[in-house]
Amino acid sequence: MKTPIIAFALSIIISLSARAELKWEQTTIELHPTPADKQAVGHFKYQNPGKTPVRFKSVHASCGCTTAQTQKDEVPPGGSGEITATFNIGDRTGTQVKTVTVETDEPTNPKTVLTLRTIIPQQLEISPNFVFWKQGDKPDPKTITVKVGKEFTVKHIKVTSSSPDFQTKVEEKGNGEFKIDVEPKETNNLVASTLTIQPEDSQKIFYATARITNSPVVQ
Amino acid sequence: MRSSLVRQVLFLAALALAPGVGEAVYFRHKISWQSAVLPSESVTVDQARTWGRNVIWVDARPDEEFARDHVPGAVSLNEDRWTELLPQFLAVWSPGTKVVVYCSSLSCNASREVARRLRREAQLPDVFVLEGGWEAWLKTK
Repeated sequence: MKTPIIAFALSIIISLSARAELKWEQTTIELHPTPADKQAVGHFKYQNPGKTPVRFKSVHASCGCTTAQTQKDEVPPGGSGEITATFNIGDRTGTQVKTVTVETDEPTNPKTVLTLRTIIPQQLEISPNFVFWKQGDKPDPKTITVKVGKEFTVKHIKVTSSSPDFQTKVEEKGNGEFKIDVEPKETNNLVASTLTIQPEDSQKIFYATARITNSPVVQ
Repeated sequence: MRSSLVRQVLFLAALALAPGVGEAVYFRHKISWQSAVLPSESVTVDQARTWGRNVIWVDARPDEEFARDHVPGAVSLNEDRWTELLPQFLAVWSPGTKVVVYCSSLSCNASREVARRLRREAQLPDVFVLEGGWEAWLKTK
């Protein structure tokens, strides 16, 4: 009973190792860009340990924010190379998972999904980044909470309003937390303001919006 | 002989099943490539059309695709230029208005991400993801 099973399993293993197939160093890469970085680049390295060449049929990224490039169209036996995946960070935040699907002419495993996991550091988390009053509302102040990201130290923030129709007051709560009270002078006119929030000793600027809106739409 | 072969095949199948089940259990909470959308947070083109003028269409696709064509009256809001585009969107939003976010197709993730940020960061209510995205819109045009 045991001998045929082992022989069968061995034959499968041998046939798998003999066929043309790319061996990837890793199919998932985690990147930790700095706040100043505009792009995160992952290098997916491969080898062709088989006896026949492997040809790339297509390399396709999961979103328009990611590009993927092959160094060559065909990998000869014993050859190696890499696929470079470039993720344009833009104004994205948090953990971003993007994939690159690689199709080759390998008969048994023609599709490989490469995963680029990018952890984007966030210096300030502003919640909410939009405060509004309906026209005619009582002009009571509304609060925006600012939390400093774990990897950062911010002792003070500076807040300015683009419009004199809104006043702001910053309160430091400690433990990397601030409260911004936003107060409109009145709510009769449809006005808006961009609130600029800048951490001390930092070039990076964050924004919030304050606005007097018109009354809800009646169906 | 035959029953022995069947036993061997079953043994090998069970052997292959074990790591598969293990992986499914171990990775059940791992991040997926697409954010999940609750049924209450998505909308079909037909449903959205019944809302008439009480809706803002938000195009989460890259600038080039928005420039090529978009839902009439849609506002561009993508994560490439979120900081710049968000105030422009908030300038046209009104309380009581429903927001429908779309990207290229069923498989894209940008609309889910933009909708999530509008709900979480701007704390807007009534933000929906368009099922099937721009492709679905084109089919019912």
